[in-house]
Amino acid sequence: MNREELETKLIDYIDGKLSGEQTVEVENLIAADTSARELYRQLKEVMQVMDASPELEPDQRMKQRFERLLTEEMHAMKEKRMVFFTPVVWRAAASIALLVAATGIGYWIYRDYSREKELTALRGEVQKTKELMLAMLQNQQSASQRIKAVNTFYQMQMADQDVVQALVKSLNEDPNTNVRMAALDALGRFSQEPEVRKALIAALPRQEDPIVKIALIEWMVKLKEKTVVKELENIVNDNEQMKAVKDAAYSGILKLS
Amino acid sequence: MTDEQLMEAVKNGDLQQASLLFDRYHKRLFNFLARLTLDRSTAEDLTQNVFLRLIRYRNSYREGLKFQSWIFQVARNVFSDHYQSQKNKRSGFISVEHLGDHIMDQEESKQLEEKEALLRRSMALLSDEQRELLALTRFEHMKYEDVALLMDTTVANIKVKVHRAIAKLREHYFQLEKI
Repeated sequence: MNREELETKLIDYIDGKLSGEQTVEVENLIAADTSARELYRQLKEVMQVMDASPELEPDQRMKQRFERLLTEEMHAMKEKRMVFFTPVVWRAAASIALLVAATGIGYWIYRDYSREKELTALRGEVQKTKELMLAMLQNQQSASQRIKAVNTFYQMQMADQDVVQALVKSLNEDPNTNVRMAALDALGRFSQEPEVRKALIAALPRQEDPIVKIALIEWMVKLKEKTVVKELENIVNDNEQMKAVKDAAYSGILKLS
Repeated sequence: MTDEQLMEAVKNGDLQQASLLFDRYHKRLFNFLARLTLDRSTAEDLTQNVFLRLIRYRNSYREGLKFQSWIFQVARNVFSDHYQSQKNKRSGFISVEHLGDHIMDQEESKQLEEKEALLRRSMALLSDEQRELLALTRFEHMKYEDVALLMDTTVANIKVKVHRAIAKLREHYFQLEKI
């Protein structure tokens, strides 16, 4: 048993917290070991002195001081409650209400103003994008750039005159079939516009690319454009046209007649 | 009414009930703080602070919490704040030889037995934590379970620390006795 274990045992023994068996063990140790006996005596004395230590009596004026403090706190609490019923507070409350209302109106005006500002900014962005796409459409070096421009118009659902003209030009003149097809798809979205419809009808005899020509015939059928039947008959009778184109034209005649 | 019921009433705005809690606890808290600070007038001021906090921070008392644990925690915080603020200001320390003059008034001092004086001087030589542990367990007779809760540790840990504090106190006590 080390020193700390011995001290713990002795303290518990003095406090009467040991079991019967442990008590006998400690008593035997105290009887047999002089240093353990001395340690026990000293611990017992210290613990007895602690137990006997008198409580200090606080100053009687402490209670008076506390009562004064309590009264002040109760008074302060009452004042806090009363504050809501004074005219000054009502005036302050009215001022706050006015401030809140003014802030609301200000915010409403500002919100309208900022919405207008946002729209202007958005319009500016759209215009910039349109210009960029039109420029890209002129890029003869890159078909993919031109397709990208056409697809952007398709997604933006823009159909102003500049865009329609650019798309019609691509449909009729672009050397790349894919760009022409993309232009046709984009124009097809705006086919309800009389200008676009006219442009599509006019494109039919001009179109030399067989794939695009077939797609144009299908569009005409879809749009139920009966005015193109004569042109379709011309295609059917044109020996230089590919068989697939002739078949498409023949099918269109049957559907539109 | 129990301590807890009184404190609930205070929390709900019936501040007058704090007066009863003062009657029940101010002496214990004063003694506890006196054993920590080793200074009577400081202990009185700190005791007042404890009750001031009881009123002002009454809303921090949680329902179902043992009032004794709560108020002693407040007292520990008050002492800790005081200790921190005094740490840098202190130019010296209270001489163990004159401790009796600080902690007791003249009348008490005259009546003091030699062993009691020795005890207080020995207590002053303990660490703050050891002094606090003995103040709570041996003088305030608080259960180890409650002290463990207060100090956010285990009962076993408190028991070990209290026993070490007693052993240390014995050392100081018999060393001073020889002087």
